[in-house]
Amino acid sequence: MYLPIRDDVDAPKLYGSRRGRFHLQPQQEDFIHPVVNPDTDARGVITLTSLPVLGIDVGGTNTDAALIIDGQVVGTAKVRTDPGSLIHSTAAAFAEALRAAGHVSSPLELHLSTTLSTNAIVEGRGDPTLALAVPGPGMRIEDLGLGFSAWQAGGAIDHRGRETAPLDVESVRDALSSAADSGIVALAVVGKFSHRNPAHELQIEQAALEGYPQFASITLGHRMSGRANFARRLATAYLNARIQRRQSEFVKMLEQLMLSEHRVAQAFLLKADGGTMRLSESMHRPIESILSGPAASTMGALALAADPGVNAAVIDIGGTTTDISVLVNGDPVFDRHGAVIAGHATLVPALFARSIGLGGDSEVRCDQSGVHIGPCSAGTPAALGGNAVTPTDAAAALGLAQIGSRTRAIRALADFAGPIGLSPMAAAERIVSAFAAQLAAEVEAVYISLESAPVYTVSEMLTSPNIRPVRLIGLGAPAPVFVPRAAALMGLPFELLPFHAAANAIGAAASRPTTSITLHADTALGILTIPEAGYRAQLPSRQDFGLRQARAEALTWAERAARSLGADADAAHDVSIVEEESFNVVRGFHTVGRIFSIKAQVRPKARRVDEA
Amino acid sequence: MNTATCRVGLVFFPAFDWAISPDHPEREERLLYTRDQIAEEGLLDISGIEEYRPLIAADADIERAHVCVPTVNSVATQSHRIAAGGTMLAADLVLQGRADRSFALLRPPGHHAMRIVHGSRGFCNINNEAIMVEHIRSVYGADRRIAIVDTDAHHADGTQDIFYNDPGVLHISVHQDGRTLYPGTGSIDERGGPAAYGLTVNIPLPPGTGDPGMLYVMEHLVMPILHDWQPDLIVNAAGQDNHYTDPLTNMNFTAQGYARLTQMLAPDVVVLEGGYSIEGALPYVNLGILLALAGLDYSAVREPDWRPDSATQPQAVTDAIARTVAALQGLWATRREADLEAIFGARQFFQRRRDIYYDTDNIMERQSEQIRLCNTCSGWRSIRSEALHAFSGRAVRIGAVIIPRRACRQCRLDAQGEFEQLSALRRAGRLNLTYLQDVEADS
Repeated sequence: MYLPIRDDVDAPKLYGSRRGRFHLQPQQEDFIHPVVNPDTDARGVITLTSLPVLGIDVGGTNTDAALIIDGQVVGTAKVRTDPGSLIHSTAAAFAEALRAAGHVSSPLELHLSTTLSTNAIVEGRGDPTLALAVPGPGMRIEDLGLGFSAWQAGGAIDHRGRETAPLDVESVRDALSSAADSGIVALAVVGKFSHRNPAHELQIEQAALEGYPQFASITLGHRMSGRANFARRLATAYLNARIQRRQSEFVKMLEQLMLSEHRVAQAFLLKADGGTMRLSESMHRPIESILSGPAASTMGALALAADPGVNAAVIDIGGTTTDISVLVNGDPVFDRHGAVIAGHATLVPALFARSIGLGGDSEVRCDQSGVHIGPCSAGTPAALGGNAVTPTDAAAALGLAQIGSRTRAIRALADFAGPIGLSPMAAAERIVSAFAAQLAAEVEAVYISLESAPVYTVSEMLTSPNIRPVRLIGLGAPAPVFVPRAAALMGLPFELLPFHAAANAIGAAASRPTTSITLHADTALGILTIPEAGYRAQLPSRQDFGLRQARAEALTWAERAARSLGADADAAHDVSIVEEESFNVVRGFHTVGRIFSIKAQVRPKARRVDEA
Repeated sequence: MNTATCRVGLVFFPAFDWAISPDHPEREERLLYTRDQIAEEGLLDISGIEEYRPLIAADADIERAHVCVPTVNSVATQSHRIAAGGTMLAADLVLQGRADRSFALLRPPGHHAMRIVHGSRGFCNINNEAIMVEHIRSVYGADRRIAIVDTDAHHADGTQDIFYNDPGVLHISVHQDGRTLYPGTGSIDERGGPAAYGLTVNIPLPPGTGDPGMLYVMEHLVMPILHDWQPDLIVNAAGQDNHYTDPLTNMNFTAQGYARLTQMLAPDVVVLEGGYSIEGALPYVNLGILLALAGLDYSAVREPDWRPDSATQPQAVTDAIARTVAALQGLWATRREADLEAIFGARQFFQRRRDIYYDTDNIMERQSEQIRLCNTCSGWRSIRSEALHAFSGRAVRIGAVIIPRRACRQCRLDAQGEFEQLSALRRAGRLNLTYLQDVEADS
């Protein structure tokens, strides 16, 4: 049995914080758990829950909805997004999809992807927020390029979570007082190495709760992520605090809507990692719902693909950009560091996607070295009434796609091809080939960059896992023209997903709760920390705690966290260890303990969906 | 996100699954806390600081700098190849313009590895800087003038050995006085071979030297020498064991001192060497070096147990350093006036005999070397080496002939002749193995 550390922070505060990530209660009697073998992790597709699922994706222009029952799309809807009220857009799409599906009597599950937090951050909106940092020695906070200012309080924690300088309580009070006096209601508190020891953050939270009821929203850095990176943790907590009130209001309105729609049994919000979280959880961690639209799209591809359990590149070609994401054995690859939004680097877990300026409406140029496409958009294609020639026009002229006026496309191509001595059709061929060649080169570049990511062990240097694609999966309107050609250049088979206006909404409907936790155990210091869960405990003795126990603890906590986010038993059991480190701690030529660092995760997975 | 004023390529390879032995200072844990600090500071998010995965050095890369006995594989593990390959990549990044400066922050280290390698000494098997220098000269031009400034607390006897007679390399080693620390060598009168006399510069510092002493040496000796010699590339072999918390040495440097040293030296390539205060020093020293390389403010980098008197040095130490610097200033200024005949003799060959101990692998090597005193090139060399492996009782006798870069026709012919003679000895059973190192023919 592990005892909470008394000298650090009082145990009830440690667990009872109302802003904890997972709201876990200590259950000390069940801390010894059987080891779950991570290799038994079932890959591929999971079984459908019994409830019908309504997926809604509130995009910038349109709001899409798709109702899925027993793996079949039974109704879709598209309404115009009302930027003034995302709730109205959601309600309208909700009603429209149910109408399209006909009579649905059973309760249903709602999966919602919104741009609420993304837009707030991109547009710089949100509550005035005090960022209160305990930076300790190291880089100057002014040099982090945060894009916002932070109050710096004295105090320091080192890399192993030891306090090397006490918190400057006076400075903290000054910061809280002056912020409260100037009407600031949101507070983000982040210390360097707080993921190893959150004591200073908790001390500041306590001071705020006791003396300053003005702070309606408090975000603690260590609860946001167990990963290192003070600068990103600071940005993540700051943005989270800024948009928290807005998110709470949205959730309350949504709950009103659900009360009126008795059929909604439970509601989830989409996250940047392609998973979902419970609506109530999103009030504490709204930052995780940023960039959920692109993630929903990747999950849509996974739900609709014929054989999703393989290595594949997913290529989503739009009008101005192409997004390339990567599947390894059917699992979407994550961004190594975390999402970047509006110039803020964060620790928000996000799916990897490389966005390139190459699309159906891209600008086409020609010089001595040949035809080049993008990265800028040329506006409306000539075939649709625009002026400039675009890849879409080349496809239309060659009869590869039926878009607008073929005559207008050919005329524009003639204007483009004349000065370089080509026929319109020859020019169109070159444009289509150049597009495919650039696309193939970009896909290759994505793999080269993923494969050259730094590794820190000899064994990883010598045996890198094979992530190379065995097929390309194309989606988006221009995909049927360009993906087969890019695949031919790469010597790969391809698959085109049926164009579906509601692919994002299908992706939202198909996703399930995800979570990850980071366990850090230092048996030399006798401390085990799981920052995301707000858990910090004393280890009994180093002899009794080895890698086996560390793995079991990590899996148990991840499973518990997944349940608290709304995962059903199947999904919660589907936890696996995704990163693991173990070191002997040697002092004076004797091994005095070990350090384990383990990340356990419930990965994003898509329920299988078929076209009805 | 912030932008560095200098683009820095970081080749970080902590070899988290490799150790000399589980409790050895050179173990998995060594760069763990440095990794934690770099990751937590968010340093890699700074635009202009880019991290790279190392290369793996091939046999040919290693054999340009070394004679490995009996083979490269027998003395270099994959982690040694990665450390050497990562150092080569650090040079590539700068010479290809992909970065303004680079930092090979990796292990295992290499600066005690000499030209002939029977095993591991001073935790080193193959010499990362030497392999990099030969890589540079093979790929980017043999006439590149390269200065190596080794600031590890231990004398860089391996690097000194490899470039002892090489007029294209200036080797400056700043270290704790060899009379008080392993490996014992590195006195000011070790100044290089007949073809490169004066280009080996040893700066022994008394125990207790702090930041002021080190910075005095940099300002009054190292920088003027570099200014005078005008290298094309400056390499800093950045051992971090001069730190006041290092368990193996007796020096008093701080992270601030290292950062100021880096700023002053402005090296093109920095290569980690030793440094075994893995919690108290390395995270902060490496952070300071990286920030200084990137041209960023390092004023807030400080060790947790730092006190204002951490870097102080006694007056006697200050005085001794001033005397050493003055003596070396004189030696540098007059290096071309040295009477080489008096030092190396007037015969055809200069000969030396050495006993070399491999502390890590417990090997005793007895080496005799002759260098051809040639007026047109740096002269071919012949080395006989006999190694007794104490653990196994195995004894190995080898002969090696070294043909230097830009060897004259006659030296090349004579070297071939010598190699024939050594081969005859091998056939007669008097030598176990023979080697011919001919860098220009091999690359």
